[in-house]
Amino acid sequence: MKSKRKKKPVAEEIRALEEKLDAIIEKHAAPPPEPNPIESRALAPSEPPPALPSLPLRRREEREPTDDFGYDPAYDARARPLFDFLYARYFRVECRGVGHVPNEGRCMLVANHSGTIPFDGPMIKAALAREHPGKRDVRWLAEDFVFHFPFLGSFETRIGAVRACQENAERLLRQETLLAVFPEGTKGIGKLFKDRYKLQRFGRGGFVRLALRTQTPIVPVAIVGGEETNPMLLRLESFAKPLGIPYVPVTPTFPLLGPLGLLPVPTKWKMTFGEPIGVGEHGPESENDELLVARIAERVRGAIQEMLDAALRERKSVLFG
Amino acid sequence: MAAAKHKRARPKRTAEPRANGAIDVSRTRRVPDLAKDTRVVAVTGTASFLGQNLLRLLEEDASIDRVVAVDVKAPETVHPKTRFYEVDLTQPSEARLAEIFAAERVSTLAHLAFHASPSHATAYAHELESVGTMHVLVAARQTRVRKIVMASSTLLYGAHPSNPNFLGEHQPLRATKREPFFADKIEAEAEVGRFVERSEGAIATVLRVAPLLGPTASSFVTRYLSGRFVVTMMGFDPLVQFVHELDAIAALKLAIDRDVPGTFNVVGDGVLPLSKVIELAGRTALPIPHPIAEPLVALGWIGQVAPAPPTLLPYLRFLCVADGARARDVMGFRAAFTTREALDDFVQAQKLRETKLLQESAFP
Repeated sequence: MKSKRKKKPVAEEIRALEEKLDAIIEKHAAPPPEPNPIESRALAPSEPPPALPSLPLRRREEREPTDDFGYDPAYDARARPLFDFLYARYFRVECRGVGHVPNEGRCMLVANHSGTIPFDGPMIKAALAREHPGKRDVRWLAEDFVFHFPFLGSFETRIGAVRACQENAERLLRQETLLAVFPEGTKGIGKLFKDRYKLQRFGRGGFVRLALRTQTPIVPVAIVGGEETNPMLLRLESFAKPLGIPYVPVTPTFPLLGPLGLLPVPTKWKMTFGEPIGVGEHGPESENDELLVARIAERVRGAIQEMLDAALRERKSVLFG
Repeated sequence: MAAAKHKRARPKRTAEPRANGAIDVSRTRRVPDLAKDTRVVAVTGTASFLGQNLLRLLEEDASIDRVVAVDVKAPETVHPKTRFYEVDLTQPSEARLAEIFAAERVSTLAHLAFHASPSHATAYAHELESVGTMHVLVAARQTRVRKIVMASSTLLYGAHPSNPNFLGEHQPLRATKREPFFADKIEAEAEVGRFVERSEGAIATVLRVAPLLGPTASSFVTRYLSGRFVVTMMGFDPLVQFVHELDAIAALKLAIDRDVPGTFNVVGDGVLPLSKVIELAGRTALPIPHPIAEPLVALGWIGQVAPAPPTLLPYLRFLCVADGARARDVMGFRAAFTTREALDDFVQAQKLRETKLLQESAFP
């Protein structure tokens, strides 16, 4: 009940923001900035050739089917109904504070990682696409082992996942991307049911160093519900090594019912976006300040844990919220 | 050619009279104190695709006085500035090479004696690529060659699920050492590293070139994309990257003209999913589950049906894409063709070849 009362003003706020945004878009009907002069030339053939002298060599007219990281917009559009269904009907995601995510520019979403099979990346993507006034596109970082698997790896790549490593993340942020990261990593998705919503170690603070280096604000995100979709009772690690995966999960249904047992439980999800944590007061060179990195990492971790605890206290039922 | 405008400004010296075999005359007229002024470029492996084309480009460049071609096979066309020496790098050839380099006063050496495709004759390939590089570099050090330019491959980074999407030059070379095609080239790069360490004042440029595509280049990649059915790994669709043959040659020329020590990735802009590559090439993908692909391809390789041994199968599953930013920023190289354009160029020429309108012999 409580949550429903809270939902209304948010919805109204979003509607108001949307109207404002529509007005702005109508007023400045300017085309979006095109960093690549070649592409703009292809769009407007009557315009004079671009200023860069070394570029008219190019004759690219067609857009590539995918971007540099393998995101395939056409494929994503086809997969969208599935994630919309998961978002709206299956997990019934309730999204709060999405306005904390800036409308443009680079930004890092830092969230708790959840579920034996992580749905949180696609759900954050769906949340931003549906609820955010700027309809922002999100890329998220996925663990290495995802890319070991047939189908799973290429599927995730096409819908927007990128392998988690500093080089990739930095390149994405420098392209002003909205990037979701899960610093808990494999330890996060490998959490046993009894440890749910207890944030694990945040790696070695790599995400903070990245934020400092690229001067990216951090928005903490707490996801409640995701950690109960595949309640893991046991983690078998010895069998897993030859398969190239970190562990074999044992859930009440998994090896028992075969692949069917991996279907997620339709839990009720709550996604909370917290206040942005800026790193602007520290320069890019402070990434080597280990103490500062640890302090910021702890601050982000604390913010997420606090939001998790608050949402958990409020929650009455795992399945119905 | 894009590289032509990067010619080094040098004191004007009238070119030697080139007609009627004046090469020997020019040689006798050179006196040692002029050696600094003459620009002599030696190229090993002039029968290779890159070697042939680089030879032509060097011949056209008026700022280069002489080109020394080293191979077991003479160049197919005769160039006035070029002198050919038949040397087999798989034999102990240091002394002979040193003699040639000293006599010709070679200042720059482009080492291109490498196989473009995995070979069945692995022992010969090892002698040529790994040991041959050692022979060449020993001779170069002895005769104080100032600059070495070597062509390598981005495939040496290896295809791994843990690769970043764009591999920088600082990344380790993780291609499997089980495959002699990679191991020999990695050793050759290490030889160049040792050469730079030991010889004072010498510089080396290693160009890691992405798989070549274009109207005339041929390698295991073009053979892979030429079949009616193209083997892929079921459930995998890695991003791939190519470079146009002209861009690769231009990069080599640029490295000869400018002094840019270091390692550089030479790649076309953009990446394409393998599925899209096969679609653009007009082929049909034949997905095979990866656990059974290895023995199948091994059989195909032994039976000389498969274009490459099974050790190259990871490239059909995982990423191996290099970052060309350093070549752009430091060397000033910009690829004129994107990955997609390089592929298109190859596909167009391939169509002509398939309809018998283009004979293979038309292109050397």
